[in-house]
This record gives sequence, C-alpha cells and structure tokens, in this order.
Amino acid sequence: MLKYILKRIMLMIPAILATSFIIYFAMDMTGSDPATALAPDNATEEQIEQLREELGLNDPIFVRYGKYMMGMMKGDLGTSYVTKRDVFETFMTRLPNTIQLAFTAVFVATLIAVPLGIYTAIHQNTWKDTGGMVFALFGVSMPNFWLGMILIIIFSLNLKWFPSGAKGGPESLVLPAVTVGLGFAALITRTTRSAMLDVIRQDYMTTARAKGTGERDVIFKHGLRNALIPIITVIGMQLSNALTGSVLAETVFSWPGVGRLIVDSIAKRDTPMVTGAIIMSCVLMCVVNLAVDLIYAFFDPRIKAQYSQKG
Amino acid sequence: MENSSILKVKDLVVHYETDDGCVNAVNGLTFDVGVKKTLGLVGETGAGKTTSALSILNLIPGPAGKIKQGEILLDGHDILKMNQSELEKMRGNDVAMIFQDPMTALNPVMTVGEQIAQVFELHQKASKREAFAEAKKMLKMVGIAESRANDYPHQFSGGMRQRVVIAIALACNPKLLLADEPTTALDVTIQAQVLELMSNLIHDRSMSMILITHDLGVVAEICDDVAVMYAGRIVEIGSAGEVFNETAHPYTEGLFNSLPNLKQQGEELVPIKGMMPDPSNLPSGCAFHPRCPYATENCAKEQPGLRHVGGNHFVACDAYNDAAFTLGGGVN
Amino acid sequence: MVNAKSRSMGQETFRRLLKNKGAVCGMVFLVLLVLISIAAGFVYNYDTDIIAINMSQALQPPNANHWFGTDALGRDIFARMLYGARYSLIIGVGSVAIGLVIGVTLGAIAGFYGGFVDQMIMRTVDVFYSIPNIMIAVVIVSLLGTSTMNLLIALCFTCATSFTRIARASVMTIRDQEFVEAAYEIGLPTWKIILKHILPNCLSPIIVQVTLLIGTTIIAASSLSFLGIGVPLPAPEWGAMLSEGRQHIRDAAYMCIIPGLAIMFTVLALNLLGDGLRDALDPKMKR
Repeated sequence: MLKYILKRIMLMIPAILATSFIIYFAMDMTGSDPATALAPDNATEEQIEQLREELGLNDPIFVRYGKYMMGMMKGDLGTSYVTKRDVFETFMTRLPNTIQLAFTAVFVATLIAVPLGIYTAIHQNTWKDTGGMVFALFGVSMPNFWLGMILIIIFSLNLKWFPSGAKGGPESLVLPAVTVGLGFAALITRTTRSAMLDVIRQDYMTTARAKGTGERDVIFKHGLRNALIPIITVIGMQLSNALTGSVLAETVFSWPGVGRLIVDSIAKRDTPMVTGAIIMSCVLMCVVNLAVDLIYAFFDPRIKAQYSQKG
Repeated sequence: MENSSILKVKDLVVHYETDDGCVNAVNGLTFDVGVKKTLGLVGETGAGKTTSALSILNLIPGPAGKIKQGEILLDGHDILKMNQSELEKMRGNDVAMIFQDPMTALNPVMTVGEQIAQVFELHQKASKREAFAEAKKMLKMVGIAESRANDYPHQFSGGMRQRVVIAIALACNPKLLLADEPTTALDVTIQAQVLELMSNLIHDRSMSMILITHDLGVVAEICDDVAVMYAGRIVEIGSAGEVFNETAHPYTEGLFNSLPNLKQQGEELVPIKGMMPDPSNLPSGCAFHPRCPYATENCAKEQPGLRHVGGNHFVACDAYNDAAFTLGGGVN
Repeated sequence: MVNAKSRSMGQETFRRLLKNKGAVCGMVFLVLLVLISIAAGFVYNYDTDIIAINMSQALQPPNANHWFGTDALGRDIFARMLYGARYSLIIGVGSVAIGLVIGVTLGAIAGFYGGFVDQMIMRTVDVFYSIPNIMIAVVIVSLLGTSTMNLLIALCFTCATSFTRIARASVMTIRDQEFVEAAYEIGLPTWKIILKHILPNCLSPIIVQVTLLIGTTIIAASSLSFLGIGVPLPAPEWGAMLSEGRQHIRDAAYMCIIPGLAIMFTVLALNLLGDGLRDALDPKMKR
C-alpha cells in the first residue's frame, strides 16, 4: 500500500510539470515584458535591454522555466508587478480563506446531499423523489454567481440577516458557502441517487434480503458501501473544483481568496502573480485528486487489491 | 398429492405492471413440495420460474411487481400473510435461496466469511466471533479452505463463488432450499461438482428442495418429483419416473423430442413449432394451444385445470377429457 | 419472449422520450429559444437597438415601454436578452461540437489501439482534465485576447477531454466483442470498422453527454463573461449583463435577476432533455 502511495506521488510529478509548463509557457507569451514593467519610467531602450539580460529573460524558455520551478520549490515565485510583494507569500496568505470557504461548502453540501440522495432513491418515483430531484435539478442549472447575487438581494439587502461582503465573523461565511455549496449539493444528490438506484437493483441486494436482513441494513450496510465509490468521486471532484466555484463566489462576495486573487491579477496584467497563483492552484488540485484516489482504495477492496499488486 | 408437504402453493398469480403493459408472469400456479423431496421445476426462459421462487420468499421487486392472489403455505403458515418481521425471520432460516449468477449474487465489498456469518448473526443471535467461526465451518463443508474466509468474492472463481452462495443458504439449516438454475452460469465440469455437493448436503440435512432449471438431464439425475411450467402455470407434475416415462402433456413431449438423443443419431431434431408467448399478451384458453399438435377448438376457450392421470401424476390438458387419449397420436 | 413490434432504435428512443414530460418541456423551450435567437437577428438592429447608448432612459425598472427595464446606459434589456441568446447557444453548441469531434476521435483511437498510443493520449488528456475550465480559459484568453471565438476555443478543451474519456471507455468495451472480430474477418478496413460498427454502439452515453455538456458550457461561458474574460462588452451576453447588473445591485436589482433566470432556464431545459435521453436510451426497465 505504501508503495502504491509513493508510486502515485511519483506519477503526480510529471503531471504537475506538464501542467505548470503549459501555463508558464502561455503566460510567458502573453504577459507584459517583465523588464519593461520593472524598469523605471524614464529608462532608455538600452537600459531595458540590459535589464532583460540581467533578469535572464533572453534565455531559452526551458531554462527560464527550470529556474522558475526551482524557485517554486524554495517558495520563490517572483514578485508582483502591482503590489511589489512576494507572489508566494501573497498566495499563501489568501489560500486559507479559499480553503475555509471550499471545505465548508463541500462539507455542508455532503451533509445535506448524501442523505437526500439515499432518501430519493429509496422512494423512487414518489412525490418525495420528485421534490428532491427538482431541487437538485435547479441547483445544477443555476450559475452560482447568480445565486450569490440573488442571495445578497434577499438576505443582505432586504432581510439584512447576513453581510454581503468581505471576510468578517462566521456570519460572513454563510452566504458565500451556500452559494458555492448549493451547486455541489445538487450534483452530489443526483450522483448519490443514481448510484443508489444502480445498487438497489443488484443481485446481492436480493441475496441480502433472502438471508432475512432487515430493510434498513440492506440499504445502508449492503447497499451504501457499494454506492460510495461514485459518490466519493463526485465529492472529490467538487473539492478539487472548489477553487473554480470559489472564484465566482469570491468575486461576488469580495471574499479575499485565491480565486479572486487570480481574477484581479488578470485585470491588472500582473503576470507573475497570475502565473504563480494558477500553477500553485493546479498543484493543489493534483494533491487533492491523489488524496481522493487513495480514499477510494480504502473503501473498495477490489481497487485496494489492484493497487497492492501493482506496488 | 402427498399429505406431508413442506410447501403448498395454491393459485398464485403474480403480475408486473410496466409502462408497456401488464406482464402476467405467474398465472394460477399450484404445486406441492413433499417433505425431504426434491422437486424439479422445469421450463424455458420466461416461463415464470424465478418469479415463482421469489414469491415463496415474498421478494417480488415492487412497486411494479405485485402478488395478486394466492396462498403459499410453508408448514401450514401462509407466507403471503406474514408481516415484515415474520418474513425476515423466515428468510434464510426456514427457506433459503440460491441464485443463478454467482458473480453478482455476492456483495463485492464484504469478505465471504462476513457474508456467511451474517446469516448466523441474524437468526441465531450469535456474536460476531461465534458467527465467523461457524462461517468458516460452512466453508469447509462446501469444500473451500477455511483460511479463505477473509477473501473477497472477486478473488474466487465462479464455481467457488457458487459454493459460497450455497454455504450462505444452508447455514441455518433451512427446511426448504430454492435453487434457481444454480449451475447454469458455470462451466460444465464445475456443474457436476456443484450439483453433487448440493445433492449430498441436502440429503445429509434432510432438506426439501425446489430445483429450477431448464436442463432436463439435471432433473433426471437428482429430482424426485418434476413440475413442468409453461406461461406461468404448471402444465404437468408428478414423480420423475412418471413425467419422464409416461409423459402426459404435449409441451413436455415437445421438450423431450427437441433434445438430442444419442440413441437416435441421424434423426432430425424436432423443435416445437412457434414461439414462447409474450407474457403481456397471452393466448386465450390454454396458453400452449397455438403450438400444440393436438389442439382442438375448445382449447382456445377454456384454461384446463390440473387433472389426475395416475399415481401422483397430474396434467393440465383437456385432451384427457377423453379417457383413452395418449400422446404420440399426432405430430404435424 | 419476443416482442412482435419492431421499431428502429431511434424511433423507440424518441417514443420513450416523449413520455417524459420534463424532457418534452425542455425540448419545447430549446426550440423556442433557437427560434428567438434567429428571429432576434432580423427583428433588431445591433447598432441601434442593442448597443446604442441612451442615457435619458437609463435605469428604468420594467415598464410598458421596456418590458425588462433598461440598464445603466439606457439600453432596452428585453432586446438585449433576446439577442443575448445567440451568444449562449453559439458558444455552447460550438464548443461542444468541436470538442465532440476532437474528443471522440482521440478517444476512439486511444480505446481501439490501446498500448502506447492510449497512454500518450490519456496522459495528455489527464493534464488538461486537471486544470479547471476557468484556468484554461484564462490562459487562452490571455494568449489570444477576449472575444467570442476565443472563448469558444477555450471551452472546447474541457468538452474534448470529457468526450475522449467517454469514447475511449465505450470503444474499449465494444472492441473486444465478437461482432467486431467478424467485421475484421470480412476484411473491412479499420477506420470503417470504427466508424460503422463500433461508434454507433457508443452513441448513447455520448448523446446524453452532449446535451448536459452544452448546459455546463453555457454556464462556464457566462461565468467567464461575468468575470470579464469572456465575451467582450458591449455584447449583450447574459453573463456580461449580470456583471453590469452587479454594479447596480442596490438600486436596480432587476438587472441582476433577469439574465440569470434566462441562463438557469436554458440550462434547466438542457438538463431535463439530457436526463430524459439518458432514461430513454437505457434498455433496462427502471420500473
């Protein structure tokens, strides 16, 4: 098992390298010239060219990329054009806010969605099922930034229950988390329901009943454990996509997270910040994906067996 | 019929209501299973055999499936009138079932030992440890090494999985075993092994069994009595000797004729003309009449009841209104 | 058991689909939407009706003249909404179409040939899969600039990766079946085997995914436009309209509500249709 974990970590590295290279390359081609940005306003063309040499900007892309990645491992991703602050430091300051938002959203979403999904699967085709499914359908169909604005209109401006912006006490987390979480909840509910429906039809469920197992145990002990794989897949996907969802919620609610950092930096053409933040985000996502894959193995003995043998 | 019957099924009717119409899976099923006897339930796919077996455990998948009427008396108690908790006590304990496909009948995320042990925990109030110990004994009894109790189903071959399924079924010594085509999904060589195992275990424990199969050879080998099903009804029932040697129903005759026979090499196989009827659209009267070489006008009007033709032998065919009628009198 | 009625699979699927009320509503809505977006091009003149600034009429809530009100620059929101449908539909359908062609081709090749080719393709796909849609769009838009076409290209990537996986999985399942071997024996060339024998059997999951993915893409497009890196102003794309609306969330809330409803109902219709297709294509009876 340990061998498998190490192996997956090893495999993750080329993926991260490939991803980061693509991003670095693209941003390099489009971003403003660092020398021009860093040089004082009255610099001559020659002085700028000299600065370019010093900064190593005329080196081939791979060399620059290599240096950049080496820097990343030491925690140095360059300096922002705009704020003149260290990119890495800024990212790490903002990261906890995004993590807080993302995890809260996914946690609450799962807490609501999984039981709802099981409930609707058991009562398939009754009004309880239809109701749950309608909720899930709407949740999946609405753009979450719009939901955020609607929530602000209703709960902030009109009812004045929750604040609409910036990070404050726990009440400021509510609306953003709901915004991010509702879409998740809808998707998780649908997945749970369909996974449970598949499981309910399986032969081993009939075997369990034929043994005399009570209905509740049939569903939870025998059924749910098998349905967990697709459910965990979706939850994992949501976690690693939380960043994406957060970008929008953070923008709508002015939440000081990583997503908004990226968007603001784009608007300000702050290339090092954008590059650094996106690459770091992707690294994070790879790590989360790996963690989710490892959790699978824990739940499904067939997968565990595959991996133990491979290792 | 024998007086000492472990199971009496009377006039069972089971429907499935789907978007495309009503599927009449079982239409007035009546048969008995004698104590310590093995009944072979024979019929082609779609005849309603599995539905009949599931009905005995009251496990017809709702909401589409409904038991419309009938009585199923297990040792005198009507299963169809039992409440949920009585049913749960009965299943696995008094009546157990072996399913057709061992690949899908076992839960992939539980060890085989766990799955067998559950039966003990449910019905004998055993602790987890005791139950697991008993489970290991059951594994040994079906010919699997006890050390494999902690393995998962995917680590076993088809034949071995079926043995596990048998172990689960026999764990609490049920009075009646329902075996739904237990060897159909297995290789031929394994089939023989598994059948022999089942046969021995059943005799050792003095169990009754209903063996559902479409393989007449298997029936001949291990069944005491035979019931032939067609379109959801029993068309012929009797001891194995009676049904095989004194075949009474035209359908049964057709079944035997369509089997290749080494002694008749060189002769053409004689299939039964026509096709199995669509259960959502059954013919009127006797369901077999469109394909029956002996059919008369009357056959389309009334469904024949089971009539006695000797010994323990009953046939659902109005041709026997004429006491002198025998088969072999007309093949088209 | 033989069913004497024999219909082609397409007809049978369509018949089952029609029984699903939700799917029918979805289809009707989508047909109307397409008609509206086509009509909008004829009824409205882009320069005078859609983008012309008219400050005297600014920020009017919905009234008799302007059914959905006007925005901060005095433009009629109703007209902009109808016109805006075009962007969502074109981007949604366009991205998915391009992604479909690329993805299915790659996936079929990967699934069919297996081995090294498979690994190469799938590793590349995995890399793109692990970068979220928005990031890819950001990068592409930075590279190529903000425009409708570039947004379309940016969103293709996610669609393509999705189809690659589905096509590969389906092809791998079918590839080993006997009728494919039979086709070989008769001497059909490989590409024909893939096109005529294998792909038709993979159609079901792909069809369902197309419908659902159009919805996802429309949401992504409007999200990016909302962030300012999608369809450039002054185009009346629904997401961009919401971004403008956000400035006036306190005094002109209607600007924030209406375009979002449009997005939601469009995606809802697509999801209803997609779910209906999934149920209709599933041969197992769910009842």
